[in-house]
Parts: sequence; C-alpha cells; structure tokens
Amino acid sequence: MREITEEIRQEIQDMIFDYYADECEIDRDEITMESNPQEDLGSDSLMFVELIEMTAEKYDIDVKLQSIGKYMLKTPMDTMKDVVEMICKIYQYGNDIVNL
Amino acid sequence: MSTFKKAFLFNGIGTKPEKLFQAMTPQMLEKHRSYQHDEFTRLGLNENLSENTPMDRLAAEWLTSLISDRVVYEYYIEKGIIPDIGMGHSSGIVSISACFGSVSHEFAHEIIMMNRATMRSLSVSGEKQDMGTIIGMSIDDVNELIAEKNYSPDEVIVGSANSRICTMISGREDAVKQLLLDAQEAGAIKVIPFNIGLAYHHPMIEKHSHEYVEFCAEGEYRAPEYPILSIFDGRIMTDGQDIMRENQINILNPIRWDLALKKLEELGVTEFFDISANGAVGKFSRISRRKGRIYTFDEV
Repeated sequence: MREITEEIRQEIQDMIFDYYADECEIDRDEITMESNPQEDLGSDSLMFVELIEMTAEKYDIDVKLQSIGKYMLKTPMDTMKDVVEMICKIYQYGNDIVNL
Repeated sequence: MSTFKKAFLFNGIGTKPEKLFQAMTPQMLEKHRSYQHDEFTRLGLNENLSENTPMDRLAAEWLTSLISDRVVYEYYIEKGIIPDIGMGHSSGIVSISACFGSVSHEFAHEIIMMNRATMRSLSVSGEKQDMGTIIGMSIDDVNELIAEKNYSPDEVIVGSANSRICTMISGREDAVKQLLLDAQEAGAIKVIPFNIGLAYHHPMIEKHSHEYVEFCAEGEYRAPEYPILSIFDGRIMTDGQDIMRENQINILNPIRWDLALKKLEELGVTEFFDISANGAVGKFSRISRRKGRIYTFDEV
C-alpha cells in the first residue's frame, strides 16, 4: 500500500475538480463535495474511465479497470466526495483495491 | 504528405432527442425545426414524438438524430471546415451517405423509416432480441467472457468494438441481459442495456431485414463528395455502388469502429470532427490525444 499525504489528497481533489469542470463545461466553484457527478454535473461513466487513466498515468499506478469495477460493486459513487475517495484508494492500493 | 487531415465522424442511434438540442445555437435549433417539420409532414410522423405509435416513435427519434447530424454538418461547412474523409457508426452510415451527397436526405430518411419493417417482422416472429454497452472492457475482454461463460454466437456476440474501453454486444434478449450481468460481476465500470428489442449488427437480424436491405438498393447513389471509410473492412469508398453496399450490409454485420479509427490515424488524420450534437462519438471513440484531436461543433 502506498502512503497518501494530506498534500497528495488535496492535489488529487484539485485534479478531479479541475477535470470535471473542464469536461462538463461548468464553473469549478459550482462543484462541491456533495455534487452528484451524473445528475448535477452531467458526467458519465466514460468520463470516469478517462479520469482513472489520467490518474494512473500521472501517479504511475498499476491498476486494471476491472479491479476498480469490482470494487465499485461494493462502493457506489453518488457524490464527488465518493469520487475523490475512490481515486485516493486507487492511488493507495492500485490493483489491490479489489481486495478491500 | 497525407491528403487526409480532417475526418468527420457520424454517430448512430441511441441519443435521446432532448440531449441533442442542449448545445445548439438558436439558428441551429430553427434549422432543425424547419427540416424536421418538412420531413415529418412528408413521412406522416407526428412532431410530438410521444403521439406516434411505438414503432413510429422509435423511427421518429432516429430521424431527429439524423436531422441533427445534418444541422451540425452544415454548421461545420459554413465555418469553412471541409472534411477530407469521413465515417459513420451504424445508422451514421445512412447519415454520412446523405451529408456527403451520395444519396438525398429524403432517401436517407426513408431508409431509417424502413427499420419499422424489421421491427414488424420481429414482432410477428415473437423473437426477443436486444443490445447493450459494456464500459470498461475491450472486445478481447468481452470475447474472453463470452467464451468463459459458454455463450454461442447464436446467442450473443460483440456487435461493435468502439474502443478499448467501450464494447457493444448484440443478440438474444436473455443472453444480452445475462452477459451484461456477467460483465458487471467481472468488473465492468458500467453496463447499459438498450432495451430496443433489436439485435443490430448480429446476423440473427438478417431474416427480418429483407425489406430494409432491398430498399437500400432502390435509391440513386452518386459518388460521395468526400471519401468514406468502411467501418467493416477499412476500405476507402469513393463510388456510389460501394456506398449502397455499405448501407445494405450495415445492420447485419459487426462493426470494428476501433480499427477504422486506427486506419484513419494511419492515413494521417489528426483532426476529428464529431457530427453528433452531444459529443457522443468523441466520448466512445477514445481518440489518442497523442495522435489527434477531436472537436465538437461548439469548439470551432
């Protein structure tokens, strides 16, 4: 497991918010941790996959989409807080996320 | 130096009409309204989609999508963006045939209306078919799953390999439903059933599509103004007869959109223009940013 600092956590959150603001063409200030990615921001699952791949490339993480998909069966993502948590978990555990 | 730099990409069916209008300018909306009014009147469809019979409603939704393609296409042309080549996904083939001038828009719309004959034949037969999309799996992942779970090709196949993270399946309704569940268990990020009762791009639809296929040959096909790439075998088509055959085989055969995109990149295309009004093609195509850029109409 990779350690995650508060600084990295904040960096990840900023990256995610910037990404959704850009992709969904909305003001970054309109996005909160309580926003629903689909209903409030108009995002979709393809956008989420791109975010995963972007994160994996940025932080050099070895992770298969299917590992994340299996984890998502147990952990639904209803808010941006859930998305940030998910990406932080991917940062920490990579492919082992499936065993959580 | 490559002669192919700009490619226009046309989407197939599946987008809800209201989603198509969100980004359109008032002028585009007015143009859409005008085209739709003329064509719906000619074809005997109600412009209030819910007032149509279920089969007419589906055809009307698909026509709305085709008309939207035409409006976006004309927007690009008016902006001086001219394609060097193009290709269409599924009913996007019908759309590009009209926009690139191989057939009239009226004939293209009549082809779409012929889907009702396929629906009627299926309805009489009692066969249950469907399609669905798996997000987060490639064609190889899905084919492995199909083999592992012992599905036969008569039950379900990959109907379109869109990209390495987006695969469409097609076949018998129960098998499609079960394979979507299997995919979810195997770690798909999301699975989406189409619930349209048709298995386009699976050979099982052939026996219900004779009228459709025959009708496709009845129109007058001219050479397209710009070449069209086949999404079935990657040929560059410049002849009217080629376009006719592509329309005839369209709904019966699996699509390799991923390979066709790769071919465009190999031909030197670096700028892709999404003809769908909601940017759907760009989303499922996953064009590598290292190799090119995809534009939507509101970005040009």
